[in-house]
Amino acid sequence: MDRRRAIKNLALVLGGVISATTVGILIKDIIIPDNENSNVSFSATDEELLAEFADIIIPTTKAAPGAKAAGLGAFIPMMIKECYPADLQQTFATGMKEMEEKCQEQYNKNFTALSPELRVKIMEELRTESLVDIKKPSFFILARDLTILGYFSSEIGCTQAREYLPVPGRYDGNADYKPGQKAWAT
Amino acid sequence: MNINSNLKEENTYDAIVVGSGISGGWAAKELTEKGLKVLMLERGMNIEHIKDYESAMKNPWEFKHAGKLTEEQKRTHPVQTRDYPYNEATEKWWVNDLECPYTEDKRFDWYRGFHVGGKSLMWGRQSYRFSDHNFEDNAKDGHGNDWPIRYKDIAPWYDYAEKFAGISGQAENWPLLPDGVFLPPMDLNCVEKSVKERMEKHYNRTRILTIGRTANLTVPHNGRGSCQYRNLCSRGCPFGAYFSTQSATLPAAMATKRLTVRPYSIVNHIIYDKDTKKAKGVMVIDAETNETMEFYAKIVFVNGSTLGSTFILLNSTSEAHPEGLGNASGQLGHNLMDHHFRCGASGSAEGFEDKYTYGRRANGIYIPRYQNVSGDKRDYLRGFGYQGGASRNPWHEEVAELAFGGDFKDKMSLPADTWNMGLGGFGEMLPYYENKVYINHDKKDKWGQPVLAIDCEYKENEKKMRIDMMNDAAEMLEASGIKNVQTYDNDCYPGMAIHEMGTARMGNDPKTSVLNKWNQMHEVNNVFVTDGSCMPSIACQNPSLTFMALTARACDYAVKELNKGNI
Repeated sequence: MDRRRAIKNLALVLGGVISATTVGILIKDIIIPDNENSNVSFSATDEELLAEFADIIIPTTKAAPGAKAAGLGAFIPMMIKECYPADLQQTFATGMKEMEEKCQEQYNKNFTALSPELRVKIMEELRTESLVDIKKPSFFILARDLTILGYFSSEIGCTQAREYLPVPGRYDGNADYKPGQKAWAT
Repeated sequence: MNINSNLKEENTYDAIVVGSGISGGWAAKELTEKGLKVLMLERGMNIEHIKDYESAMKNPWEFKHAGKLTEEQKRTHPVQTRDYPYNEATEKWWVNDLECPYTEDKRFDWYRGFHVGGKSLMWGRQSYRFSDHNFEDNAKDGHGNDWPIRYKDIAPWYDYAEKFAGISGQAENWPLLPDGVFLPPMDLNCVEKSVKERMEKHYNRTRILTIGRTANLTVPHNGRGSCQYRNLCSRGCPFGAYFSTQSATLPAAMATKRLTVRPYSIVNHIIYDKDTKKAKGVMVIDAETNETMEFYAKIVFVNGSTLGSTFILLNSTSEAHPEGLGNASGQLGHNLMDHHFRCGASGSAEGFEDKYTYGRRANGIYIPRYQNVSGDKRDYLRGFGYQGGASRNPWHEEVAELAFGGDFKDKMSLPADTWNMGLGGFGEMLPYYENKVYINHDKKDKWGQPVLAIDCEYKENEKKMRIDMMNDAAEMLEASGIKNVQTYDNDCYPGMAIHEMGTARMGNDPKTSVLNKWNQMHEVNNVFVTDGSCMPSIACQNPSLTFMALTARACDYAVKELNKGNI
């Protein structure tokens, strides 16, 4: 059984304790906790890069502001430092550096200096590389999943992209769904 | 030890209740309401109702790590992180495994919460009666010892417990799952209703599907508010809408003004008086200061959770009880059981694109056991029930792997067209003498106490049952029109269901059991054990309601005996 389905079933049977918005990268079967200390650090420039990266994963659309507005530039590196074991921190940091090198090699520019079209092109390349083995953590997979997790838990994600009902007060299991109606946030 | 006589008087109560979870809370309520002066000892911190549920009203974006755990939390909670319950919103409820280690001869996931309220704050709230099938199975197939009671003995106490706790549910007249005194049931959603109708028709009602019977209030009850359908029960309910020590039994006990609650009080052992052949009281380690002290009482109720209580009894050795208090039978610590689950099937329901849910129901569906009764013969003993439910899928199967961009985002912001319906089996585990716990003196906890060693595994009967738990689920879903049905078995280890039971079993014969039919120790008649350790078998239903009923019943008996001068 694939991990997505496992999470889905757990969320279903156990009452939604596991966020359905995450694709499951934080599930333990790939992240084995270890005792090594955090060994990577991120600069303000890195945060800018990650904000731009995240904003291409989840851009601003007519429906709602995107990942950058939701603060993902700071969220992603914080999560990597505090919630990931040392080897995955390293995978992330190295992959981010390699992406910068790729940008320099191909266009002689930093990622953040590229046009949106070229950023998308670079990210499509990273995506293609990651698709070879989607169970193998890569910078692209880690950053993408954290973008999705962070965005759909953010205030913008919950209240603008989706619809948030803090206290429903009642249950209707046969409510009408109107075409285009947003998903509930939790 | 020299005890100052004033101190001794100060530390003397009519009854001591060890533990403050579901059964401890009930014991405190019942004993104080019957006029006893009670001391309730809790090894962890105090939790004040509502005020101390800090995460209860937080929005998703108010959690720094979006609900996930930090590496530091994974380091300090290596067992609690093995499965889902411990997360950023609920981290307060789960123990630091490094402070209170145990050893595993075989993998056993021991989930613990040390605080006033115990697991009554984190429980799943599913509340089912046992039937006579369950009370008779041991005697019929010879596994375990015979239950000393039958359904008629406990039925009035189920009524009593349900009336106070508030259990919502639907009466079904199903022999294996007796009806109770219910508050109005929660609703099945449109897909669950469709599955129920088709499935019951297909099997000619030899199998039924009902809404989960849950200790969530569907209407205000005994001064507590009704469920607001937030599905955030695991953080503690600010509306008091599910049964917990804090929302229900503790206020009732406090209202008598006869209850003293002492948090941070680790009961190390029960003090046995060889002259009276009774328990004199308990020895406590203050969890904050490491100071030891004694408390005395006429009766002791042991409600420290199955393995917590068993540890205390095993650790209460004396010349008269060298193998642990009341353990002449040699059964104390043996026959450990837990439900096995994490397998079943799920699939998608089509034709409900124009329907959605409003509100988050902290409850699912239940299919009570139907195997090995009425001609339904299987190649294993006992059986299983299902929990599950349907929901509109929050994500889209058609989205490409690792997709990104504006269309992806907008799609992720809408629900999918399909609904998912899943059934997860909960199976009975047989009592095996060799599944046991014992004290391991080679390792010590933060307070210098030896630790528990656990040696427990599922065996052939459970393994065979799991195959049916998957296949029956798939068959029922397919018969109900569910598409793309897939079975799964995510592996299960004892402890994961957090329904550990059986290590101080009841029975009529003192030679083969620790407790009598009143949950009273055969050998030490002023000690009562009414948590999960008392269970001679575990059926396949969630057990807490049975602990409540047994506790109330035992308290009634204990006080009557006390008043008659028999204790």
